[in-house]
Amino acid sequence: MGASRPQKLSGIQKQVLSLYRGFLRTARAKTLENRAHIESLVSAEFRKNSELIDRKNFLHIEYLLRRGKKQLDQLKTVDSVRLSSTNVELSDTKQQSSG
Amino acid sequence: MASALRSAILGHVRVPVVTTGSKLLTPLWINRSTSVRSMSSHDDHLEKTQVIDRILDIVKSFPKVDPSQVTPEVHFQKDLGLDSLDNVEIVMAIEEEFKLEIPDKEADKIDSCALAIEYVYNHPLAS
Repeated sequence: MGASRPQKLSGIQKQVLSLYRGFLRTARAKTLENRAHIESLVSAEFRKNSELIDRKNFLHIEYLLRRGKKQLDQLKTVDSVRLSSTNVELSDTKQQSSG
Repeated sequence: MASALRSAILGHVRVPVVTTGSKLLTPLWINRSTSVRSMSSHDDHLEKTQVIDRILDIVKSFPKVDPSQVTPEVHFQKDLGLDSLDNVEIVMAIEEEFKLEIPDKEADKIDSCALAIEYVYNHPLAS
């Protein structure tokens, strides 16, 4: 049995991964082109934040989680992808955190 | 008299319920695949080798992975140097490949090829 100890994830890590999964799932329902676009945006954003933000900075992570959930809900409700708005919001976040 | 004897005996006899229970539990798992097989009109239960091959292909094709390092036992993060976000992406790719939806709770546990293979192989809806 190759079942070693399972990866240990904190509660907040699970929430982040769950949100990431949510984005990737939602992206699946979009057209191929939009899907690729959403995936690269979302992936870049999560990765950037994973490096930028201290893992103990729960306040900031929780803030980003709330923000991400809102963005995900928005992405889910739009039938014809309003990528532009997601795009704007994501780049918005980038500006905020880099400034 | 006979009924008194009967209740006296019944009062003392302990039927080993545990045996029945475990009998029910273990074969249920084994029977499930066989009963699914016999009942389904299309016998599309996946062969284990097929599951292994398809999962290995997914992992090998992951951009950050060196295909030569991928084995059926390989651990995504410890052996392949991936992070938890990559882990999510791989599990999502496996979901899609086998047309499954893996709940978060299960997906969080799948951190190696071995666990992925086990999960998919035992999933009745994997195709």
